[in-house]
Amino acid sequence: MTAATIIQSLASGLLMGLLYGLIAVGLALIFGLMDVTNFAHGEFLMLAMYGAFFLFAFFAVDPLLAAPLVAAGMFVFGAVIYLLIVRFAMRAKANIGMVQIFTTFGLAILMRGLAQFFFTPDYRSIPTSWLGGKTVSFGGIFLPVPQLVGALISVAAFGALFFFIKKTDFGRALEATREDAGAVALVGIDKNKVFALGWGLGSALVGLAGAVMASFFYIYPDVGASFALIAYVTVALGGFGSVFGAFAGGIIVGLVEASTALILPPSLKSVGIYAVYLLVVFIRPRGLFGSI
Amino acid sequence: MTTPLLETRGVWQRFGGLIANSDVSISVGAGEIVGLIGPNGAGKSTLFNLIAGVLPPTQGSIWFNGEDVTRMPAAERCQRGIARTFQVVKSFETMTVIDNVIVGALVRTTVMRDARRKAQEVLEFCGLGARANVLASQLIPSEKRRLEVARALATEPKLLLLDECLTGLTPLEAQSGVALVRKVRETGVTVLMVEHVMEIVMPLVDRAIVLNLGKVLVEGKPTDVVRHPEVISAYLGDRHAISA
Amino acid sequence: MDTTFAQSRRRDLILAIFLAALAAVVPFFVKDVNIQNIMVLTLMWAALSQSWNILSGYCGQISLGHALYFGLGAYTTTLLFTKFGVLPWFGMVAGGTISALIALGLGYPTFRLRGHYFVIATIVIAEIGLLLFHNWDYAGAALGIDVPVRGDSWAKFQFTRSKLPYYYFALVFCCVAWLVTWKLENSKWGFWWRAVKDNPDAAESLGVVVFNSKMGAAAISAFMTAIGGAFYAQYVSYIDPDSVMTFQFSLLMALPAVLGGIGTLWGPVLGAVILIPLTELTRNYLGGSGRGVDLILYGAVIVLISLARPEGLIGLFSRKPASKGVPQ
Repeated sequence: MTAATIIQSLASGLLMGLLYGLIAVGLALIFGLMDVTNFAHGEFLMLAMYGAFFLFAFFAVDPLLAAPLVAAGMFVFGAVIYLLIVRFAMRAKANIGMVQIFTTFGLAILMRGLAQFFFTPDYRSIPTSWLGGKTVSFGGIFLPVPQLVGALISVAAFGALFFFIKKTDFGRALEATREDAGAVALVGIDKNKVFALGWGLGSALVGLAGAVMASFFYIYPDVGASFALIAYVTVALGGFGSVFGAFAGGIIVGLVEASTALILPPSLKSVGIYAVYLLVVFIRPRGLFGSI
Repeated sequence: MTTPLLETRGVWQRFGGLIANSDVSISVGAGEIVGLIGPNGAGKSTLFNLIAGVLPPTQGSIWFNGEDVTRMPAAERCQRGIARTFQVVKSFETMTVIDNVIVGALVRTTVMRDARRKAQEVLEFCGLGARANVLASQLIPSEKRRLEVARALATEPKLLLLDECLTGLTPLEAQSGVALVRKVRETGVTVLMVEHVMEIVMPLVDRAIVLNLGKVLVEGKPTDVVRHPEVISAYLGDRHAISA
Repeated sequence: MDTTFAQSRRRDLILAIFLAALAAVVPFFVKDVNIQNIMVLTLMWAALSQSWNILSGYCGQISLGHALYFGLGAYTTTLLFTKFGVLPWFGMVAGGTISALIALGLGYPTFRLRGHYFVIATIVIAEIGLLLFHNWDYAGAALGIDVPVRGDSWAKFQFTRSKLPYYYFALVFCCVAWLVTWKLENSKWGFWWRAVKDNPDAAESLGVVVFNSKMGAAAISAFMTAIGGAFYAQYVSYIDPDSVMTFQFSLLMALPAVLGGIGTLWGPVLGAVILIPLTELTRNYLGGSGRGVDLILYGAVIVLISLARPEGLIGLFSRKPASKGVPQ
């Protein structure tokens, strides 16, 4: 194992990690806002990937161009899911934690079934895109362009999100609601509206990730499941509800995955991520940056 | 002098740079009702939690019934005979009222029939007999306070720690609460109660300990304590005038 | 008061005996092998869900990693039988013991975690187990192990000609799981568990040793789950990591209890009786197309029941005193 191989894998790991962060941040946002973990998050990603695929297949829209469209579509989808389903799951007085876990689990299974029904279980891919298949080289390290652009989009999205939360009215309403939903109601902010928009925003972010990933990943009904667990680990590693935690968690997960793949057989590469998660929460039961 | 039931010896508690209790030494004799009072932020709740075993003190020791319990976990203290209530009630919401109390009774027996009988007795004692089979979540706030007391009594404590159990009740409810505390003492249980509002506790307690800024300010008979100039200024500083 | 309580406990027991007797005679009238298969699976999942319910329902520690114990039970029995010729009956007990010990070992660090951190830890640990078995050559790695056919016998717990012996074992397993829950429900442990679930701080103040309660629940739950895994391995006579240890199994253990009524005596049985035939029938009649109709139906049922009956379907049957209605 040469130094170049190690740097090469860490660089790829970093790119993938930034994407993991983007996949996970919507989950963190929603959890921070209302203590709900969306166990259908992976299926949201799957839907976004199909969105990018169909835009390409029917209208020849490049995934890069499709990304804002998919994000906008997912924004609406997320808000509607909140209004139609999640809102009611939060009304339960008895074992509310259970109810929301299994409601979103049911949703995940339902979405997977619908995807199989309407999109068939076939593996799809976007064969030609502006970025697809290209690589660039920095001093002997080769980086695939789609992942590189994806990572840049992720960084930009995180930057925009920080700005948004700190500087805009809605962002501040979001912050205030996550701190104290009861008090917010008193000053006349409609909690349901904020929650719906929060779900929209969280889903739009995973939509962005999905569109980017569609250009270099196979698309099939179960694709979400493989990323969902990574997203949960990312979010929990950073600390539930922390946006910065999702960013940092994503990078850690990406790097750990890449380094594990250097040492262990490829089929065991996830073991590293899982082990790091356990190690972190055993030492810090609230994750790295979690306060709640 | 006989050894007191409960004693704290030079107890300190620091949270980072904040000193919540500094060198607090108090004692509670068997059979007493003692009030632990003081303005907001005086360190009452911290001291209460140290005695109940929620966390160990930074320094100093706590003795119960002649035994050092400083580092003993809460559950074990309960077995020794210290029971507590919570200021923010913590009922077992999905369980019925009697099942809530049975949890407490199981410290003394593992025979379910006995635990159930004991729980029913305690509920009658606390005036909740008719509500035994209702879910705890359906109780009104004053009933939940009673349930806290009932659960604690079911553990057959020597010392009952009451955390602001009379605060926030209507005058009528508070009155019957006072009556309940008196009844508890008559059964031989020692009571240490934290209260923020003096008017409620003063007629009830044998002795009052006033904490201010983490230290014991004064202790003595309630009638003397309320007239103490330092107490008055501490409370006035907190904008809570005493009507007594 | 005391008597009404004793009466309702006795009523539960009588109902259970009646249902068990009914289940025992059903095979005399139902000869269809496919339906018998569904009945075996229903009983097995009812028992497994009952086991899961002890840790997650009563004690409130939501595990979505019980597939680990299921898989350990299956692998222990099968490995002991194929490599050392140990009879499955001993393998079953060994698997249960190993699972219980592992549950205790894992409980030590994980029970400090709360809420989602705990749930994700359970998923992650089971995934690590799955990946390790995938790469463990001695245990057949990804290819799995065939249980060699040695002829029908109770000693070797193998029956190729009829499903009935499996059916009766599953019935006994289910009855035992129910009975254990029934017994524990009205015991110090049962009360401790529910107290821990509702409010650990208050429980601790009432003398409940919260950590020990969780450990006890975990050990019992893991032991019984492993028995189910051992049975399943004998029943299907072939195992590989994906057929006994995936997340799917963890979910299937949780769902009947959740749909029927989590933390209740009858919830897992009720949930399994509805869910498992539904799953098997939709898979048999709709799933073959590969078009996901079974998943659609399954997912929709879960969402609807979770929303409409958060306390589980058992709420439809409860005969609570008409004090203030159902807690809603």
